[in-house]
Amino acid sequence: MSLKSEHTKELHDLALQNSRIRRTKSVIAYAVLGLFVFASVGPIIYIISPAFRESKSLFSYPPQWLPNSFYLGNFKFLLSETNYIRWGINTFIFATGVTVIALIIDTLAGYAFARMEFPGKKIIFGLVLATLMVPTAALLAPTYLLVRNLDDWTFGLIGLDTYGGLIIPMTVSPLGVFMMRQFIETLPKGLFEAARIDGASEWRIFTRIVLPLMKPAVVVLGIFVFMMQWANFLWPLVITTKDETRVLTVGIATLQGQFVTNWGVIAAATLMTLAPITLVFLFFQRWFVQASMAGALKQ
Amino acid sequence: MAEVIIRKLTKSFGDNTVVKSVSLKVEDGEFLVLLGPSGCGKSTILRLIAGLEDVTSGEILINGEIVNFVSPVKRNAAFVFQNYALYPHMTVRKNVAFPLETARLPKDEINKAIDEAARILELQQLLDRLPSQLSGGQRQRVALARAIVRKPVVFLMDEPLSNLDAQLRQQTRIELMELHQRLGVTTIYVTHDQIEAMTMGKRIAILKDGELQQVDTPSETYDKPANTFVARFMGAPPMNLIQGRIEAGVRQFTFNGDGILVTLNSSQMGLTDEVLSLQLNAAVCLGVRPEHVRISTDLSVEGVSGKVKFLEPTGADLFVTVSIGIQNVVVRCPPKTPMQIGSTVTIAFDMTHTHIFGADGWNLRRSN
Amino acid sequence: MDLVEQNLSDPDWQELTMSDEEFRRARSRYKLRALVPVVGFLGPFLFLWSVFLATPMVWSIWLSFNTGGLIDEAKFVGLENWSRMLSNDELVRSLKNTATYVVIAIFVVFSLALLIASLLNSNKRGQNFFKVALYFPLLVPPIMAGMIFFFLTHYDMGIINLVLQAMNQEKLNFLGDNPNALLTIVSLEVWRGLGFWVLFFLAGLQSIPADLIDAAKIDGAGSMRRFRKISIPTLRPLLLFAVIIALIFNFQLFDSVQVLTKGGPVLGTTSVVWFIYKRLFAFQDIGLAYATSVGLLLLVVVLTVVAYGFLGKKSENSN
Ligand SMILES: Nc1ncnc2c1ncn2[C@@H]1O[C@H](COP(=O)(O)OP(=O)(O)O)[C@@H](O)[C@H]1O
Ligand SMILES: [Mg+2]
Repeated sequence: MSLKSEHTKELHDLALQNSRIRRTKSVIAYAVLGLFVFASVGPIIYIISPAFRESKSLFSYPPQWLPNSFYLGNFKFLLSETNYIRWGINTFIFATGVTVIALIIDTLAGYAFARMEFPGKKIIFGLVLATLMVPTAALLAPTYLLVRNLDDWTFGLIGLDTYGGLIIPMTVSPLGVFMMRQFIETLPKGLFEAARIDGASEWRIFTRIVLPLMKPAVVVLGIFVFMMQWANFLWPLVITTKDETRVLTVGIATLQGQFVTNWGVIAAATLMTLAPITLVFLFFQRWFVQASMAGALKQ
Repeated sequence: MAEVIIRKLTKSFGDNTVVKSVSLKVEDGEFLVLLGPSGCGKSTILRLIAGLEDVTSGEILINGEIVNFVSPVKRNAAFVFQNYALYPHMTVRKNVAFPLETARLPKDEINKAIDEAARILELQQLLDRLPSQLSGGQRQRVALARAIVRKPVVFLMDEPLSNLDAQLRQQTRIELMELHQRLGVTTIYVTHDQIEAMTMGKRIAILKDGELQQVDTPSETYDKPANTFVARFMGAPPMNLIQGRIEAGVRQFTFNGDGILVTLNSSQMGLTDEVLSLQLNAAVCLGVRPEHVRISTDLSVEGVSGKVKFLEPTGADLFVTVSIGIQNVVVRCPPKTPMQIGSTVTIAFDMTHTHIFGADGWNLRRSN
Repeated sequence: MDLVEQNLSDPDWQELTMSDEEFRRARSRYKLRALVPVVGFLGPFLFLWSVFLATPMVWSIWLSFNTGGLIDEAKFVGLENWSRMLSNDELVRSLKNTATYVVIAIFVVFSLALLIASLLNSNKRGQNFFKVALYFPLLVPPIMAGMIFFFLTHYDMGIINLVLQAMNQEKLNFLGDNPNALLTIVSLEVWRGLGFWVLFFLAGLQSIPADLIDAAKIDGAGSMRRFRKISIPTLRPLLLFAVIIALIFNFQLFDSVQVLTKGGPVLGTTSVVWFIYKRLFAFQDIGLAYATSVGLLLLVVVLTVVAYGFLGKKSENSN
C-alpha cells in the first residue's frame, strides 16, 4: 500500500516536472516569436512618427514611436509639390493591368495544356517550361530595346512611357500557366466529359465549370502577380522616362535623390504608399497567407 | 428513339489495342448490357459511342447515321458516369438545367423539364441542395435526371450502381428498369457484375480483352455459353470445366479426363458425331454447371466415383466439391443433404446440359 | 438470338460503308475543327510569350555579338563583348558580391524561417497573428524597405546607432564600409523575405502526416531528433524548390543597391543586374550589357541544374 502510493507520488512528480519543462519551452518559443514579430513590424512602425514631424526635429534619442504633434506638412508637400497622386494611379493601373491580363492568359493557356489535345502539345509545353526559370532581369536589355522599337509597330500602344509598354511585357509568366495547369489537372476528368456530353463548348466549360471551381487558385495567383508588380521597380524604372508616367516605387526613389535630407517627406511617402496595401492585406489576409502557402503545397 | 449499330469498332491507345473489331447491333428501345471483367474495354466502347474518344477504325451508327465525326451533343446520347460527375458548385436544379441552358432553351421550358425529371426521379425536395449535401443514391438520381432531361435517343450508363452499397444497388436496379420501361429509350448499360447483367439485360454482350465473346439473352449465355470464358464468367460458382480428350468408343465417343470417363451421346448434347469426330484426341473441356450434376452416396448408381473434399453451405444450397483424381467437380445439392467430408460418392452429369468446348475454347454447339 | 442469328436477319449490317480514304478525310476534318478552340485558348499566352520572352531571349544571344543598337545601328563585333565581359574587373566584383549576397541571404533566411516555422508548428496558439505579422514586411516594396533601412542605419541619426551611442558603444558604419554595406543589404532581404518562407515551410511541416510524428514520439525521439529525422527529409523536395526559387529571385538583386548604396562604397555592393543597368543607361555600352545578360541567364540555368542535382541526389540517398 505504502509502496504503491510512493510510486504514484513519483509519477506525479515526473508529470509535474514534464509539464514544467513544457511550459518553459513554450515561454521561450513565444519569446523568440515575439522578438521576430518586433523585428518584422518595428521598422514599419518606426517611420510613422517622422512622417508626422518636421524634418528638422526628426530623429532623436530616445526614439519617439508616437508623434507628439500632428504635422501634416510632409503629406501636403507630397500632394501639392510632387506627382504622388499620379504615381499612385499609375501603380494601380500597372499592377491591376498586369494581374488581370496575366490571369486571363494564364488560366486560358493552363486550360489548354491541361485539358485539350492538339499536335505538338508536349513540345510547346516543354518550351514554355524551359523558360520557367528565366530571371526577368536577364531579359531587361533586350526587352527594353524591343519595347522601344515596338512603338512604331503598335501605333504607340506599346512603347516607352506607355501603359502598354509598362504592362504587357510583365504579363508573360510561364510560372502562372504552370500553376493553373496543375490546378486544372486536379479537377476530375469526368466533369469535363459530362459537360461535353451536355453540349457545352470549350468556352462554356471554361467559364461555367472550370473558373468557378478554380476561384481559390485564381485568387492566389492574382495576389501573387499583384504583389510582384506592386513592388516592381526595375522594369518601370527603365521603361518610364517622364515624371507623369512613373509608378510609386520609381517616383519615391527619385524623391530620395532630390530630398536626401528631407526625411519627413520620404517617410510620409512610404507611409502613404503602405497604407492602402496594408488595408487590403488585413482585409484579405487569409488569401495572402494562402498565396504563399500554396506554393509549398503544390509540390 | 434510335437503333445503335457499331461496325468493326477498333480503338487503340498508342500500341495498345483495347477494343478489337467489335460489331454490335442494339435495337430501338432495347436494354443491352455490356458485361466483362474490369479493363476489358467496356467503358472505352461506351465512350466511343458517346463521342468522348476518337475511333481508330470502324463505324458507329445512331439512327442509321454514321456519327464517328459528329460532336457528342449532336449524337444525342446521354451518359451516366460511374462517379456521377455532377458539377460540384451547382445546385441540383442547376446541374439538371445545365444541358438545357447550354442548348439555350427558353426559361419556362427548362423549368417544366426540370420539374418533370424531378418528379420521375423524386428529387423535388432536393433541387436546391449541392451535390456534396446528397447521399450516394441521391447523387445517382441527379445524374439520371441530368441525363433524361435532354430527352436523348440513347442512354449510355457506365457502371452507374457500382458506387452504391449492396442494398441500395438492388433497389436502384429495379428503379432503373422501371425508368427504362417508362421512357423506352435505347440503353447500353456497362457492368462487370454478372448478377446485375443477368437481372437487367434483355440481352447481354460479353466482352473479354476488347473482343466480343457472345451476345445473347441472359438465359442463353447461362445455358449455352459460347466459350469457356463465358462459361466461367456467368454463374457463381462457375461452371465445372474438366480438361480431357475425346476418344472413339465402341459405338459412341467418350470423354476422358484423368479418371472421369463420360460417354458422349451427341444428339442428347445437341451435337453431331461429325462435330465430335473433328475434335478426336484434341485437348478439350467438358463443361457442366453444378446444378446439372447428380450426386449420390449410393455407390451402385452408375457414374464416376470420387471423394467429398469441401462443403460450402450457402443457406439456399449446399455446394459439394468432389475430387476425382486430380480433378475437382462442384455439385449443387439441396441445403440439408447429408454429406461427409472424405466419404465416397458417385456423380453423374445431365448430358442435355453438358457442353464440350473445343481446343480453341469455343462451345461445339455453336458450329451447327 | 446470338451473333450468328443476328447476321442471318440482315447479313450486311456489319459491313463498313466508308472507304478508308473517306474515313481518313472525315477524321482529319473533324480533328482540325477541334483545333479552333485551342488557338483561342492558347493563342494569347503563346503570342505574348513568343514576343516578350522567347524573342528577347534569342535576340539577346545575337545582340551579345554586336555593339550599338540603342541609338545607332547594331554592328557585328564577334566575340569582343564576351572577351571584354570576362576581363571586366567590375563585373567580377559584381558577381562576387551577388554570389555572397545570395548565399548568405538564402542561408540566413532559410535557417530562421525553418526555426520559426517549427516553433509555430508546435505552438499553435496565436498562430494566425504571427503569420500575419511576419508576412507584413513583404507588403513593402524593396525600394521602400530600402528607405526604411536607410532611416534605421543612418550613421548619425539612424536609430540603431543612436541606441549604440546611448549604451556607450562604438557606432557602426552600416552603409559606408565594406563588408558592412553588403551585409546591410542582406539583412534587408532577410527582413522582407522571412515571412514568406516561414509560411512556405509551415505549410510543408503541416503536410507531414500526424501519425508519422506520433509514431516517432512513441519511439521516444526527442523534438530535435524528430526535426532532423522526419521534418527535414520530408521538407527536402520543398527545400529544393525553395532554393531554386530563392536563387533565381535573389540573383536579380538590384532595388536595394539602387536605393541604399548605388553600388558603393568602392564597388562593395555592385550586383550583376546593377552592372547591366549601368552599362545600358549610364555608359551606353549595350554590347557588354547583352553579353552580361546572356551570361546571367546561363549562370542561373547552371545553378538551377546544380541545385537540382545536389539536393535531388541527397533526397534520393536519404530514402
Ligand atoms: N486514355 C487512355 N489511355 C491509355 N489507355 C487507356 C485509356 N483509357 C483506357 N485505357 C486502357 O484501356 C483498357 C480498357 O479500359 P476500360 O475501357 O476503362 O475498361 P473497363 O471499363 O472494361 O474496365 C485498359 O487496359 C485501360 O488501361
Ligand atoms: Mg470502366
